[in-house]
Amino acid sequence: MSDRITVTIDGRAVEAVKGETILDLATRVGIKIPTLCYHPRLPIVGACRVCVVEVEGARALVASCAFPVEQEGMVIKTDTERVKAARRLVVELLLASGDHNCLLCESNGHCELQDLVYELKIEQPRFSAEPPRHPLDNANPMIYRDLNKCILCGRCVRGCNEVQVNQVIDFGYRGGKTKIITAADRSYGDSNCVFCGECVQLCPVGALVENKARFAGRPWDIKKVPTTCTYCGTGCTIDLNIIDGRVVKITGNESGVTNQGSLCVKGRFGYEFIHHPDRLTTPLIKEDGRFREATWAEALDVTARKLGQIKEKHGPDSIGGLSSARCTNEENYLMQKFMRAVIGTNNIDHCARL
Amino acid sequence: MKIFRSHILVCGGTGCHSSGSAEVRKAFAFEVERRGMKDEVQIVETGCNGFCAQGPIVVTYPEGIIYMQVAPEDAAEVVEEHILKGRVVERLLYREPITEEIIPYMNDIPFFGLQELRVLRNRGLIDAERIDEYIAREGYAGAAKALLEMTPEGIIEEVKKSGLRGRGGGGFPTGLKWQFAMRSGGEVKYVLCNADEGDPGAFMDRSVLEADPHAVLEGMIIAAKAIGSHQGYIYCRAEYPLAVHRLNIAINQARGYGLLGDDILGSGFSFDLDVYQGAGAFVCGEETALMASIEGRRGMPRPRPPFPAQQGLWQKPTILNNVETFANIPQIVTRGGEWYAGIGTEGSKGTKVFALTGDVNNIGLVEVPMGTAIGTIIFDIGGGIPKGKRFKAAQLGGPSGGCIPVQHLNTPTDYEAIARVGAIMGSGGLICMDEDACMVDVARFFMDFCQDESCGKCIPCRVGTKRMLDILTAICEGRGKEGDIELLEELAAIIKDSALCGLGQTAPNPVLSTIRYFRHEYEAHIREKRCPASVCSALFKSPCQNTCPVGMDAPAYIALIRANRLDDAYRVLLKTNPFPSICGRVCDHQCQSKCRRGQLDEPIAIKHLKRYITDNASRPTVASVAVTRKERIAVVGGGPAGLTAARELARRGYGVTVFEELPHLGGMLRYGIPEYRLPRGVLEREIDDIRNLGVQFRTNTRVGKAIPFEALRKEYDVLYLAIGAHQSQRLGIPGEELTGVYGGVEFLRQVNLGNGVEVGSRVAVVGGGNSAIDAARSALRKGAQEVMILYRRQRHDMPAQADEVAAAEHEGIKIHLLVAPLEVIGVKDKVVGIRCQRMRLGAFDASGRRRPEPIEGSEFVLDVDMVIAAIGQVPDCSFLPKDIPVTKGNTIEVSNGDGAQTPAKGVFAGGDAVTGPATVIKAIAAGMEAAREIDAAIREHHGEPPFRGSEEEWIDIPQVADEEVQEQPQTLMPELEGGERRGSFAEVELGYTADEARQESCRCLRCDMELS
Repeated sequence: MSDRITVTIDGRAVEAVKGETILDLATRVGIKIPTLCYHPRLPIVGACRVCVVEVEGARALVASCAFPVEQEGMVIKTDTERVKAARRLVVELLLASGDHNCLLCESNGHCELQDLVYELKIEQPRFSAEPPRHPLDNANPMIYRDLNKCILCGRCVRGCNEVQVNQVIDFGYRGGKTKIITAADRSYGDSNCVFCGECVQLCPVGALVENKARFAGRPWDIKKVPTTCTYCGTGCTIDLNIIDGRVVKITGNESGVTNQGSLCVKGRFGYEFIHHPDRLTTPLIKEDGRFREATWAEALDVTARKLGQIKEKHGPDSIGGLSSARCTNEENYLMQKFMRAVIGTNNIDHCARL
Repeated sequence: MKIFRSHILVCGGTGCHSSGSAEVRKAFAFEVERRGMKDEVQIVETGCNGFCAQGPIVVTYPEGIIYMQVAPEDAAEVVEEHILKGRVVERLLYREPITEEIIPYMNDIPFFGLQELRVLRNRGLIDAERIDEYIAREGYAGAAKALLEMTPEGIIEEVKKSGLRGRGGGGFPTGLKWQFAMRSGGEVKYVLCNADEGDPGAFMDRSVLEADPHAVLEGMIIAAKAIGSHQGYIYCRAEYPLAVHRLNIAINQARGYGLLGDDILGSGFSFDLDVYQGAGAFVCGEETALMASIEGRRGMPRPRPPFPAQQGLWQKPTILNNVETFANIPQIVTRGGEWYAGIGTEGSKGTKVFALTGDVNNIGLVEVPMGTAIGTIIFDIGGGIPKGKRFKAAQLGGPSGGCIPVQHLNTPTDYEAIARVGAIMGSGGLICMDEDACMVDVARFFMDFCQDESCGKCIPCRVGTKRMLDILTAICEGRGKEGDIELLEELAAIIKDSALCGLGQTAPNPVLSTIRYFRHEYEAHIREKRCPASVCSALFKSPCQNTCPVGMDAPAYIALIRANRLDDAYRVLLKTNPFPSICGRVCDHQCQSKCRRGQLDEPIAIKHLKRYITDNASRPTVASVAVTRKERIAVVGGGPAGLTAARELARRGYGVTVFEELPHLGGMLRYGIPEYRLPRGVLEREIDDIRNLGVQFRTNTRVGKAIPFEALRKEYDVLYLAIGAHQSQRLGIPGEELTGVYGGVEFLRQVNLGNGVEVGSRVAVVGGGNSAIDAARSALRKGAQEVMILYRRQRHDMPAQADEVAAAEHEGIKIHLLVAPLEVIGVKDKVVGIRCQRMRLGAFDASGRRRPEPIEGSEFVLDVDMVIAAIGQVPDCSFLPKDIPVTKGNTIEVSNGDGAQTPAKGVFAGGDAVTGPATVIKAIAAGMEAAREIDAAIREHHGEPPFRGSEEEWIDIPQVADEEVQEQPQTLMPELEGGERRGSFAEVELGYTADEARQESCRCLRCDMELS
């Protein structure tokens, strides 16, 4: 039996891989279906119902992110009035279910709910917004949590439990009182959260934002520069969020091969050293018991010369190399190569072994 | 096994348990032992007997006598009388709620007799905690057969043949579900039983688990064999401690007997199961959420596919069936699928268990063959609606279902037929609601439940149901606005279409179904800020005032009687009613049916108190009102509607002339209602008040005859047609033209005109309404020797007021029920008899009453010399021109719903002429409404502001109510003795004395008072 089948989507006959989701198929053939709770890195839950489509023969609309394409000749419609009415109502309901005032929101311009409201051409809110009912949770320096802006898509929950496997947050309570909670419904700071910030990375709205980066710059002014995190040898790809030459925030780079957007507490939140006045920005040479600033060329010359002198006088085994976990794997590789091939010793070690 | 001569079965179901059955059982044990009969008489505690409302229940065998509401003190008498002496204790027997017949044998009681017990076959018979008793009733024979003789394919074939569908509510074919799971590969599969019964008012599964847990276990063993599973779970709510307790006992006993565990009965097949207690989330009844819960995760549903038959519990092929479904399986295997399919409808086979509850006499658990009409369950098995109230609707399928209104009582219990009327079979909760239920409030209740129980995962359910609840709450609190119903419908449609699981997809059903059948109630809440059922307390002061068509402030004048301020009380009456002394005698006082006191003992006698005021207070004098407006208004008809409109228009400054065909004013008040109910002096007094206002009266003037209709139109600016309904409907049978055959209203008119009517010696009155009773009682007073009423339905179907019917019987009038006339027999143009036919009751009609059907060969002749046909009245609209249309029922058409404007400009109509025969107070309300509309139309035409009455006089109403209320029935109205009534038209009701009135007024709970 072939795993290739032919189905019809929006009137087009297309070839599909049996078992793939309607959303994957649509994306592949260039049909855009809006999503909200869906995230390519996360397990599928089909919760938000923004991506609903019509499948001929199905009793109700189905979530395209979760519904598999399995039947030869299946007929899918992604853009009917019925579909659009459902999507629009879902977004209207969300819009009225919390504090979604974009002017006062850190995520303005970087918000999937905002984008959907625009995309679905919602002009007038038909339902009056509910007054805020959750206190802010911003006592910790890392994560600013405003549950009044939360749309309960559950991306943070899946990120925390399924990607990071930290199991810190989950849905709590029921019905209209449902909210995301930590154990015993405490604040982030009082929970066993390790502040990896995965939840912040995945939040599509302004419910979870980086505390220190609030009011630091608008999304459209930010320039993202991909680089590798300097904290350890894992080599996570990070995006430096830069305004006017200053790093204001760090986000995980979703196309990073090693980390796919995930980071740890240090990589995500530990960037204040970058612009710290005490940070060393040039090499220093100690002369007469005191350091003086030097150029890289000068410093490297001094180092090479001194290493050469020691090796000549005491032999290569008198020198040992200790490299850092904050270097990349490539750098560590070069370091040991240098020690073995250039210096000629096996005295090479790494701080992570200490 | 030891043999006993007698068994005393004490019900130990949850219902009886709560009403004290444990003590009853102990008392019986004590009494039996005390008399040394321990070896002769065995006392057994059984599972739920089903007749929960009458608990504690005790049944004795071998006789099958059932005792109800047995108290521990009764044990001695039952043991002494029944067990020892063989005499039945009558006072503890069942009493039929409507006929009051006493029925000793359990199976003779319609509640039991009409049921077909399959799932519940062991209820009330065995001790649920003893596996031997289950085995003695063919228990585990099905499992043995399945394990030792059948292949999985064979089992599934048998289940498919039975036509069994999922009893949890979904109705998916059970055999097919099992086949999918059987065909799924893999070593590990699971059988799950859904015992997370959570619908409000549903207790089917609970009773099965408590009364016959082994039936469920056996069903699961058979299912396990069919799909190849070796482990099962029963997901039972922790709120069912007795069910969990008995399940665990049953599982341990089954293990002990080798019926669970390895190599069951030497078949080589192994299966075991455990109870998993749910924490009470309604959503965990949804299959994927239930599985998540067993896996230890938060009970939230996931999208399907994959279906559980492929990937269920822990990603393994799984089947999930409801308790009732499993309990059906053993008998299907033992007796065969064809046996099972022998009863039911085309698409729904076997039986269904219902938890019958709400406003119904016999609350309890019933099992009926599929196809049984909902009406049969409610009225025959359920014994009808308590306190003589009218049935309104039944909620089927709980918060996921819909309501079945009175016009659909014939709907059979069939998955598809129920879906067609907008409800669902559901798991079997059947909640009856009477006329006092507000359907908007019912929808609000269920929506509140759903939004509370939503798991919060998908937006349509979590936020959508909340929004629907907000709208419904606003409507119930008087904040509803135009467009709300449409918004509810839109939200409902999209939530149904887009929610993730069954909970969300069905949550809007109660709203949609109540809008479908009771849209007018929503509209009354939104547009008029009125709750017709007097439930939504934000919309009215007191239920009695809310129910009165003219909004009479009854608590206010009752408080004034208590304070002995009768003159003030009279002023309160006149504010909204020009005819209080008439209404104090003949109003149908619907207000009393909603009186809150009636929920405690009996309603306040509002009518009698009103009469007390008008009989005893000094009557305020009425001064004439100057004519200040140039428009002239003609009122055609001098009955209550016409006179009320004339009075209200005169008070607004219009010149009004009333045209009346007959010599005196009053309409039906004078020519329909006999004098013994309404003395003419009382009537005259109140008409005089209207004359004193300055209204002109022209009696003996029939419009269309004495004065042409067009002439009237030319002469007057506005016409109000309040001509009443003064023509009797014809019987449509041979012999109607004979001398001695009268129409009901024509007969009453002749009597009241004082024309000598020749009344026969034996009179038959046909009909069951108030005019039939009036005609019969008048005939008796006019000298008839014998008067009988022939009515084709049952007594409680009679539209006449119950107290009028009782009064007629008291006077010696015979009522023949379920009889219809076929022919009036005459000799030489004179009536000598009436040939009749007996009727039996058929299916339900649109009014919720059983339709009478003739019984062939039941004809008989009654010797009578006079026949009065009082089966209904219609208006005589023959004089109306073509531009004033009449309806099919020959009433005048109005173009604004409940209003008074006819399609012809300047012509208004109201009262019986528009509604058909109704009550006095409705005619008064119609007159009020007409005056308001006529005045508003004139003012609008001239661009004037709306009418504002003169500043209402302030009457201080005492805010006094008793803190403690003691039960005390209504104060009786003193009446003329039956013997004194014959041949006399003297008023029968004599009126309260001052003491009686005060005593009665103190019974008022003053629910109009707001405590701040």
